[in-house]
Amino acid sequence: MSKKWISTTLASAALVLASSTALANPYEKYKDTTIVVSWPALSHFAKAETLIEEFTEETGIEVEVDALQYLKLRDRQILEMSKREGEYDVVSWVVMWKGEYVSKGLLTPLSQFFTNGALVDPQYDIDDIADAYLQNGGIVGGKKGYMPGKSGAMYGVPFGAETSIMAYRKDIFEEQGITPPATYDELRAAMAKLKEAGIPALTSRGKTGHQVTAGWLLHLAPLGGKIFDDEWNPVFNNAAGVEAAQVMREIAQTGPNGIASFGFGEAAAAFLGGDAAMYIDTLKIAAMARDPKLSKVDGKVGYALHPTGTRCGSETGGFAMGIPANSLNKEAAFLFVQYMTSKAGDKRMVELGGDPIRMSTYKHFQSEFDEYPVILDQLPCADADWRPLIPEWNELNIDVLGQALTQVITTDEPIQPIMDAAAEKARAIMEREGYYAWANYRK
Amino acid sequence: MAATDRTEVPARDYRVVTPYLFIAPAVLVMFAGLAFPVLQSLYLSFYDWKIGTPLKSAEYVGLDNYIRLISDPDVRESLWVTIRFGLWTISIEMFLGIALALLLEKPIRGASVFRTIFILPLMVSPVVVGLIWRYLFDARVGWVNYYLGTWFGIEPQVWLGDAELAFFAIVLTDIWQWTPFIFIIVIAGLQALPSEVLEASHVDGANWWQQIFLVKLPMISSILVIALLMRLIDVFRALEVMYIMTGGGPGRATELMSLHIYNRAFDAQLLGYASAIAVLLIAIVFVISISILLIGNPMKDKSDV
Repeated sequence: MSKKWISTTLASAALVLASSTALANPYEKYKDTTIVVSWPALSHFAKAETLIEEFTEETGIEVEVDALQYLKLRDRQILEMSKREGEYDVVSWVVMWKGEYVSKGLLTPLSQFFTNGALVDPQYDIDDIADAYLQNGGIVGGKKGYMPGKSGAMYGVPFGAETSIMAYRKDIFEEQGITPPATYDELRAAMAKLKEAGIPALTSRGKTGHQVTAGWLLHLAPLGGKIFDDEWNPVFNNAAGVEAAQVMREIAQTGPNGIASFGFGEAAAAFLGGDAAMYIDTLKIAAMARDPKLSKVDGKVGYALHPTGTRCGSETGGFAMGIPANSLNKEAAFLFVQYMTSKAGDKRMVELGGDPIRMSTYKHFQSEFDEYPVILDQLPCADADWRPLIPEWNELNIDVLGQALTQVITTDEPIQPIMDAAAEKARAIMEREGYYAWANYRK
Repeated sequence: MAATDRTEVPARDYRVVTPYLFIAPAVLVMFAGLAFPVLQSLYLSFYDWKIGTPLKSAEYVGLDNYIRLISDPDVRESLWVTIRFGLWTISIEMFLGIALALLLEKPIRGASVFRTIFILPLMVSPVVVGLIWRYLFDARVGWVNYYLGTWFGIEPQVWLGDAELAFFAIVLTDIWQWTPFIFIIVIAGLQALPSEVLEASHVDGANWWQQIFLVKLPMISSILVIALLMRLIDVFRALEVMYIMTGGGPGRATELMSLHIYNRAFDAQLLGYASAIAVLLIAIVFVISISILLIGNPMKDKSDV
């Protein structure tokens, strides 16, 4: 009798437990759903695959990854997202595409999910995500359409986001008696000195199109330049823009052989392979330098702030993840994005060899990695107006600046006329797209 | 008699129609596969459309794209690059392909091994060809720079980052890949030549050179015209290798027309304008094909077959 009573109690207790866990598990409803993620074939994302396995194990949501070379993502994603029903449930974009995606109505505003108490983890703490990353990758519609501001809405969460820092070879600098350059004058002196000693100085991207423009942008903001003024007039052909182009030309002349053909991968490989003494670009270089599969220079690399010119400024870039408007599994997709960018997920990404997005993660690991204290100092300098993230940027970036800057680094022609011609082309594009309509109307 | 007359006339009519009925399915397939995309791009060339937006929302711009095309220096430059690329590659490929075929046509020892080796590049996918040569020409770790340096002491060059060198690199790659095509076509033609004619010319005292230039090459001229035509059209279609090796750079030094169209369509999102350039490309290829067929129509003597 008592035995029966005990077993009945146990059984009902188990039933209560089981049903309460079913209710308490926010993932239960989406078990066995398969979501498809489109993201780049880059180191950080390759490391994230382990975290995806852990996500599937914990939640029962299956994940398929479609990884592509990062500049090829845009064509594929736009085609997929413009169908009635898309294949992709999560897309990861380079920050420069966010304006175009939103203007074409291809993304789901994340407020749809952040208003759903059953989906949002109360411990998610979005304020902990580095502000520069969140604004740059995820917010669209603020000031000028792409900067922080009250009219902005959130479409993505940064994942694999970045700012720029300087990496240098401690052994070479010591041998040559060079201290890490803090300003552009010191940087240019160091480049000349290294060249004289027969050591390739600073590696850089330089391939025609997006890559050479990305290389030049790294120097434009610190030297005080901008692409447009507040009325959308191209101003990159002013003194600062020309000086940044001059710096690019000097880099190509003093750096490793082949800069004019380097994309992101080649530029990084030159530093990681020991063929360049300096690297100024994404902080992703640090995690790559520690990876024995990629790097021959582990242990020899020091980190410093991105050198300053007339002001301190560093890149805002990298990737953010969001959910296409035509996804069929939006809620499961949101749970995935939340998991990957949660506090626990972010720490786990660092353990796996990726890069964090949260201030708490940077602080947690700051004594462990040489570059983290540098990044914490660099982030306040990250420039939200690094490049205009407008739908027209792609054409300006590739067709206008990408051509002009190739001319700068592969010829000895005077720089001012090259930049002036590019500015004229840029103005024609902005005119065509109606950016001057308001100014003309007021006249 | 009268009755048979009456039945004969319709029968002849029927015979006239029959061949058209037989080729009708093929014509329909060709139309769906060829004419439809061409008409579609012609249609698109009158609109300003961006991928990711509904086609219905595209703006009609009339002849704007064509007006822009005529005055666009970038289009002219890519056309010029394509022509130069075609002249260099096709002339060298024709010369090398014919020379190799003449050398390997005789049953010498190991000829079949050589033949197999020579046609290997043809079997490699263009994307892989692009990747292979991109790494060979790599400025930092490429074999080309390495061996030029160790054997001849030549300073490492930025092959794919210098306008002249990058153009040379894509020409060399194209020659590597497409010479075998000329080679197999020519060798097939040579082996089909009737031996009586060759023997007769031999008896008449023709030497080796005379036999080649006065007998063999004239007899396979129709094959050579077809090979030339196919290569010419290929040059205007070429995309993958340059896309992988240089992306059209540095500047527009290796941006052939098809790559220029691709870059305009997908990088700059100017689909209407890219379609207008594509229509120009189709017109050019059409004119070239027609004129070559008029000059040396390989089917001319066989129209009675």
